[in-house]
Parts: sequence; structure tokens; C-alpha cells
Amino acid sequence: MTVTANIGRSLSDDRRKMSDEAFITLLVASVAVGLFLFASLLVPNFFQLLNMLNLVTNNWAVISLGIGVSFLLVSGNFDLSVGGIVALSGVLSVWFAQATGGANALSTGLGLPYWLAITCALGGALAIGALNALFVVKFRIPSIIVTLGTMMLARGIAQVVTQGSQRNTNLPDEFGVLGNMTMFDTSVKLPVAFMLILLLIAIFIERKTVFGRLTYWIGANPIAASLSGIDKEKHVTYLYLFSSLIAGIVGILLASEFKSGYSNRGTLMEFDALVIALLGGVAIAGGFGSVVGMFFGAVILAIVTSAATGMVLSPDWQYILKAIAVFLAIVTQTWALARRNR
Amino acid sequence: MAQSSDISQTSLSGGHQVAQFLKNYYIYFVLVGVVVLLSVANLDRYDLFERGNFLYDKNIINILRISAPLLTLAGAFTLLMVSGYIDLSVGSAMSLSAVIYAMLAINGVPFLPAFALTVLAGVGMGLINGFLVVRLKITPVIATLITLSLFKGIALLLVQDGVSAIKSGGGLKMPVWFNSYGREAVWLGLPMAFWIAVVVTIALVVAQNRSLLGKYAAATGGNPTAAKLSGINTSKVVIWLYVLVGVSAALAGIARSSFMSLGDPLSGDGMELSAILVVLIGGTAFSGGEGRVLRSFIGALIIMALTIGMLTLVPAYYQTLVIGAALLAAAASNHLVSRKETAS
Repeated sequence: MTVTANIGRSLSDDRRKMSDEAFITLLVASVAVGLFLFASLLVPNFFQLLNMLNLVTNNWAVISLGIGVSFLLVSGNFDLSVGGIVALSGVLSVWFAQATGGANALSTGLGLPYWLAITCALGGALAIGALNALFVVKFRIPSIIVTLGTMMLARGIAQVVTQGSQRNTNLPDEFGVLGNMTMFDTSVKLPVAFMLILLLIAIFIERKTVFGRLTYWIGANPIAASLSGIDKEKHVTYLYLFSSLIAGIVGILLASEFKSGYSNRGTLMEFDALVIALLGGVAIAGGFGSVVGMFFGAVILAIVTSAATGMVLSPDWQYILKAIAVFLAIVTQTWALARRNR
Repeated sequence: MAQSSDISQTSLSGGHQVAQFLKNYYIYFVLVGVVVLLSVANLDRYDLFERGNFLYDKNIINILRISAPLLTLAGAFTLLMVSGYIDLSVGSAMSLSAVIYAMLAINGVPFLPAFALTVLAGVGMGLINGFLVVRLKITPVIATLITLSLFKGIALLLVQDGVSAIKSGGGLKMPVWFNSYGREAVWLGLPMAFWIAVVVTIALVVAQNRSLLGKYAAATGGNPTAAKLSGINTSKVVIWLYVLVGVSAALAGIARSSFMSLGDPLSGDGMELSAILVVLIGGTAFSGGEGRVLRSFIGALIIMALTIGMLTLVPAYYQTLVIGAALLAAAASNHLVSRKETAS
């Protein structure tokens, strides 16, 4: 389906004003707006500016992860390891920064200065990304299996470091600053600003740089990309390193926000990041999708889950709602594209 | 497939024969290696067959009882992966089956009808997956991710708010027979659930070697286009395989729920990872087309022996790390083996 869509796009670029991608992004955005209005009718106090903002700001972590995951999906690869990396880098940053000589094993760390602790934690995150790249690019093992394995590996290391629970004592004062700092005299927190800047950079890379366009080429037709001299292996390696770097930063910010390194933090975040990318029209077969679409996918997911909570449905409903949302998104997008390119 | 590999064996040179032998039987060496390792590791504290050591008979029986769900799943999951498809929803399907089975039992339905209805639910779950993948042409990973969420959501909703699982209490009581399926020894000290797993595996080994389903599964995974062109109804094969996995997941759910005496909507979490791991350890190629049911069964024994046997040596929080590392190691070694083959 995606291949035909791409052919259709390239053949008709001069005739049509809007690309298939812009079309799908617009579709997703209008669904998000429609859903918001619909939810406002059902849920009391839903239609408020603060609520609209919260839908985005509460999900800064998943949206940030979604950027790396979307780029990889566009290149035709999965990254399910991001949730594990969030736990790993957070736990490592705590462990490295904790002072030596605590009362017990869990309150004793390496006593590094904070800047060095987070640098080393990012190194740990990048190591997992490098492992992903090694297995996917060099060994040619399907990315879904590799990244499921590294997800468990990363979380497993985090669990060993925290002995299955969490580390939150004996931390330096500056540890809690990054995650709770507000920016520009407003109530916008640093993590949210991080997400916004990351989004802008990602949109720029995707739209305006050779690197971004190559990602689409590789995903749309890997063989043609190789034949035309694109270093596919290097490209995918960079993408895995970027994705793990983003996940590492998210992990450090979350650890700082809660002032603790918790080995189960980020559980299922990899699936949410995948889900918002799919909701936003990123094609799993590669070569199709956009960061803006992913962003609106996140908004859709946020509306669906928070509206369910607002309607006092049991929180258990979120799983079924997620399933239905992804199902409908995939079916409609396939249908809409097929109709458009008929 | 078994026959063709026999023929190629006789026509190959000595070095290749050794490689082929290793490829076919390495899994048994790994199993023996793990067992030896786990029994030797504690020798300084306990005698070989003494209580506390790995080979203590009650310990072995206990491990086999706990393994029943994974052992039941391994075979059908292998066939599905041989045909080039995947099912990430098995864990949720297992949880949902466990909840359904426990609900039926606690509301007074006798053993056999409850069992049959749960298996029927498994057929339904398999059909949903098959429908999404084959008819709606949704990529298997996404389709089964959708049903993972769906089955889990239903399982959680079936359990009342405020309780974590379906169990005795609030005027309802689990019947006495409930945990005998997963715990009570029927033969050689092992319960029904384990023997059902063995029967399922034998049936699937036979199906793989002697029936058209096995051949069609291999053909579908090896080269889908060629399989279609030679008249195989690949859609039908794939739907059948999803139904088989659904039924196995239901049986696994029954075994788990009976063993724990409750219907826990989270009991199957992570089972999809264990199933993938087991199938990879069994040497199934992820590209499809190759793999043996029996080797995955042995792979499941290895994983269960390792994860439970390990508990006497290191704290429980090492489990995720070990399973993740094992998954990557199995994937890497599969890669090395298949690369050697294409090179020679």
C-alpha cells in the first residue's frame, strides 16, 4: 500500500497541490480536533485552554520518544527499546550521582559530580542504541526482535542496579533541578521546552535536510537506496543512536523530576510511542509519515484516554480504547489513501 | 522437511555432517549443559539429589508444573513463526483465557464445559488475529499489538474494580477441583496441564512432519509468492495457524489459572517475549520457512530451568537481564549459523 502511495505521489506531484503525507497529516489533525470537540460535549469542563495545553504537556515524554521512533519507522525499522532506556538512563544518573558511603547498598552511589553523572548515563543509553544498530545493521536480525531484547536488557540492568526497587536517597541538591525548572518566567517546565525544541528540530531535519529525505528513501525502497549509493547502514545506525539519546535524556529528566531512579519507569512507553506514530499516519512498512502527524497522533491518544477518565470509566478501559483507536486509524488511513490514489 | 534434510545429510561431506548434526541436536546439549551447571553450582551446600539442589525430584516436578503454559505455547508459536508471521497478543490471550476460565468455574460451571468454553474463546481470539492479518491486511506486528491491548483491556474489565484477580471472596468460592488440573499428580508426579502440553506438542510434531499444514506453513514462510503460485491457499494456512496459537494460549491460560488458583488479568504479561525467545533458542529462522516444534519445546524447558533454577543462585531481580541477554544471544547465534550456511 505504501509503495503504491509513494509512486502515486511522485507521479502526481506536479498535478496535485498536496502530497499524500500532507493529506494524511491533515486528516489526523482534523480527527484530533473533531475528537476534542466531541469529548467536550460529553465530558464536563473538557473544553478549556488549560486542558488543551495539558493534553500536550502531560505527554512530553512519550512525544519526545515518538520522534526517534517515528524516524526509525520511516526508515523501515522498529525501536521498542526506548522504554527500557528511559529506565536505564534514569537509574544510572541516580546511581552515579549518589554520594558514596550511604547507610545501605541502595543509598550508596559513585559520588560523581552531577554533570559527569548525566553524561555517563547518556553514554549508557547510547550503548544500548549502538547495540540495536549492531544487531539490526550488521547482523541483519529483524529490528522488532532485537529491540525487544535490548528493551529487556536495559530494564534488566536498571533492575540490577536498583535491586528491583528504586534509589532515591543521598542525592545532591542539584539533582532535582533539571526536571522541575521553569523556563522564561512562565510555568513551562524544562522537559516541555525540551520536547518543543526537539519537535522543531525534527520537523526541520525531516523537511529541509538531505538526511531527512534520505530516511524516506531508505524506508520506501531499501534496495534502490543501496544501489544509488546511499550508505544505508550508517544512516540507520545514526537513527538508532539519536533515538536512544532522546530516550536517555527523557530518562534523566524524569529521574530528576521525581528525584528517584525507578527501574519500572517508562514501562509500556515504547508501545505508546509506537501507537502515537501509527495513529499519526507513520507507515510501519517505512517510507511514509511525518513528525507533525505523530504529534497529532499523540493528541488523539491523550484525548481518548483523558476523556475516558473524565467520563469516569474505569482506567482499565484505556487498553480497549487504545486498541480501537489504532485499529480505526490504520483502516481509515489505508482506505483514504487508496481512495485518493485510485 | 525431515526427509529432505536426511537426504542432504547423506550426500554431504564429513565436516558438513558434523555441522548438520550440531544444528539438529545442539539444543539437547544446551539443555544438559544448563542442568549440569545448575546442579553443580549448589554442590558445596547440598548433595546432588538433596532437597535444595536443582535435581531434587520435587524441584524438577515443580519446575515442570510451572512450565506447563510456556510448553503448551511453544509448538503452535513455532509453526506460526515458521510461516513468517508473529503473534504479540499471546500473553494477553493467555490472561483473558485465565480470567474467563476462572469466572466460569467460580460461577459454578463444571470442569469440562468451562474448559471447552475457554478453548472456544481461544479459537475466537485466533480468528480475530487471523481476520485482521489476512482479510484486512494489517501488518502482523500491528494487528497483534492491537489485539494485545484489546484482550488485556477485556480481561481487566471482566475483573471487578477494586480486586486484582478473580478469586474466592464476596460470596463466591473457587470450586475444590479448580487447581487439580495444574497441580494434582496424574502420572509420574506431574499434573494434567503438563501432559496436555506434551500431547499438544506431539500432535504438532506429527502435524509438522506428516501433514499438509506443516508443509504449507514452511512453504508460506520460505517463499510466500511461490507458495501461492503453486496453489497453496496461504490465507487459510495463516488463519489456521493463528487459531492454533489462540487455542494454545487458551490452554496455557487454563494451566496458569489452575496452578495459581485465580484468574489474574496480568498473568500472561511478557509471555509473548518468552515465546519468541523459546522459538529463537530452538533455532527457528525469523525470516520464516524453517524451524522445528520439538526444538522449541526443549528451548522452553531450558528457559524455565534457567529462570527458576537461577533463583537459588542470584536474586530475582536478575531475571529480566538474563532473559534479555539470552534473547540477544539466541538471535546472534541464529544469525551466525544461517550466515555460515549461505556462505558454504
